[in-house]
Formats: sequence, C-alpha cells, structure tokens
Amino acid sequence: MDNLEKHITDNQEVFNDHRADRAKMWAEIESRLDEEKTKVIPLWKKPIFKVAATVAVLLGLSTFIGINFFDNTTDTEDGFVSQELQDIDMHYRSLVSYQVKLVEQNDKLSEDDKQEFLSFMNELDKEYEELRLEMRNNLDNQLVLEAIVSNYKKRIELIENLLHHLKEPQIKDENYGYTL
Amino acid sequence: METDIRFRHKELVEKSKSGDRSSQYQLYELYVDAMYNIGMRFLRIKEDAEDVVQDSFVDAFKNLGNFKYDSTFGAWLKRIVINKCINRLKLKRVAITPIEEHEYHLSNETVEIKFEATDIIKVKRGIDLLPSGYKEILNLYLLEGYDHMEIGEVLGITTSTSKSQYHRAKKKLVEIVKNL
Repeated sequence: MDNLEKHITDNQEVFNDHRADRAKMWAEIESRLDEEKTKVIPLWKKPIFKVAATVAVLLGLSTFIGINFFDNTTDTEDGFVSQELQDIDMHYRSLVSYQVKLVEQNDKLSEDDKQEFLSFMNELDKEYEELRLEMRNNLDNQLVLEAIVSNYKKRIELIENLLHHLKEPQIKDENYGYTL
Repeated sequence: METDIRFRHKELVEKSKSGDRSSQYQLYELYVDAMYNIGMRFLRIKEDAEDVVQDSFVDAFKNLGNFKYDSTFGAWLKRIVINKCINRLKLKRVAITPIEEHEYHLSNETVEIKFEATDIIKVKRGIDLLPSGYKEILNLYLLEGYDHMEIGEVLGITTSTSKSQYHRAKKKLVEIVKNL
C-alpha cells in the first residue's frame, strides 16, 4: 500500500461527511414496508392460522377415516359402484334382517324350527356372498344382478311363509314344511 | 455467546426478520449514515443517494429471510446499496467519456492552490473530479474495502481489468491533486 492509499484509508472519516435526513427517509421506508405488508402477507402466514389450519386438516382427516372405518360393515365394502344397486341391496338387506329378527324373537316357534329356518337362511346367505363376489368382477352382468334379487326374494318368501304358517299353529303343528 | 463478527446485531436482525418495526428502525439508525455516504460518494446527488438508500433498506427488510450470516448485516446491506448505485450509474451513463477530454476539462477548471501531500481534503476533491469509471473503482477499493475480485463481480469486469483500471485511476488522482 503506497502513501496515497494509506492516506485515504487512514482518513476514512473525511469521506463520511454527509448526514442522512433520517426522519424523512425512514418515513418513506416505513410506508413502503407497510404497503408491502398489507399486500403480500396473507393471513395464513401468521402462526396462529397455521395452527388452526393444521387442526382443521387433522379433524377433517380423522372424520374421513372414521366414516370410512365405521361404514365398512355396511355399504362401502360391497364394492358396488352404482348407487342404484346399493339402494336395491340396502332395501332387501334391511327387509331380510328385520324378518329374521321377527322369527328369532317369536316364542311360538320351537328351537328346532328356528334352527332349521336359520340354516336355510345361512345357505342363502352363502349363495348371496358368492353372487356378490361375482358382482364385483362383472359389474354389468345382468344375470348376476337378477340372481341377487331373486336370492333376496327367496329369503323374503321363505320368511313370509314361515310367519304365515305361525298364524295357524294348531292345524299343522307337527308336519309343516317349506320348500324352496 | 456469539463472538463471531458476522453475528453482530443478530438479535436485531432476527427480530427484524419477523417484521418487528422497532428492531428494523434500530438497524436503520445504526447503518443509515454509512449507507447514505456510500450513496453520496457514488452518485454525488442528494436525492439520488436518498432514493438508493431507501430502496436498499426496503429491499433488505423484505428479503431479510435470505440473509444467512455469511457476512455481517452491514456488509450485506452495503452490497445492496453499492449494487443499486452501480445500476443507477449505468442507467445514467449514455456513453463512456473519453479520458483525453476529461484531462483537458480538468486542467481548465483547476484552481490555483498549492499541493500538500497530507491534505486529505484535496484528495477527496480530487476523487470527486475523477472520471466516473475511475472513481467507482477507487471508491470500491479504498473506501469500501472491496478486493479486485469483488469489484470485478460488482462492475461486471475481470479481476485484471479492475487492477489495471485501479492503477490508472490512482495515477490520475495524483495528477489531479497536484494541480489542485
């Protein structure tokens, strides 16, 4: 470093002889920062909104999972895509389960009769399950759909027969029967 | 406790990052004069220097998230100010003024004062009278403490160009000061 350079760097303060108009410049800076703030920073950037958003997402997610989980036992596991099919299935299913309950709670029937009836129902249940699996693979298969409906109809017919039979117990108490 | 110079004013910087206005003002207070003087040295016009310094502070506070303590906050801010000054000078500069013309111009304008090597005020005036390109390099090297590599980056020239331009600038300065 030569003399001139040293001279300059040693006397730096001479080159810092200007004083800024602090108040005026800050006013300008602040107004531009404020302007930017209202424009750019959205609500969700504040931590509290992040927390709120997280809670909302978690609630939504758990509700979604919960609904899926509890609905598993009813319609969603069927694999039926069509709303119409689901409605038909629901209708018959509730009808059948209602009538099965009626039979089970009926004290005019003997245990054996009930067992016999329920074993028939179980067979139809198995058949229904097979049809349902078939239905998943062949969603458009009209034959499978018809088979499901007739399966349900048969069950209802069976129950109706049984209930009808119960209304005249004294006549055919010993040798009543039902055929498929 | 942080002893590294880069973490100077870390607390203020961190608070400013989160938008704390009073911390931002404290940083402004600490650096505004130094930055304003840089602006004045490059641009020489009060309004231009104020504009650049205001722009720089607004940019700095808006982009403070990008500041990772690779340097001090002051050095980071200074880089912003210098870049803005250089850009402004580039916009203003229509064509590079031939040096010969300047020499002629300067010798015409010089006032008859006896040269004293220790007169720093003369040196300062001499720097003001340097052609714009020379003045920028001399300012960056001697007063802002940039090395030739950094100057090359800021001005978009090679390191060797910066070196040779600096030596020419210094030579020119000696001449000017002699004639003051």
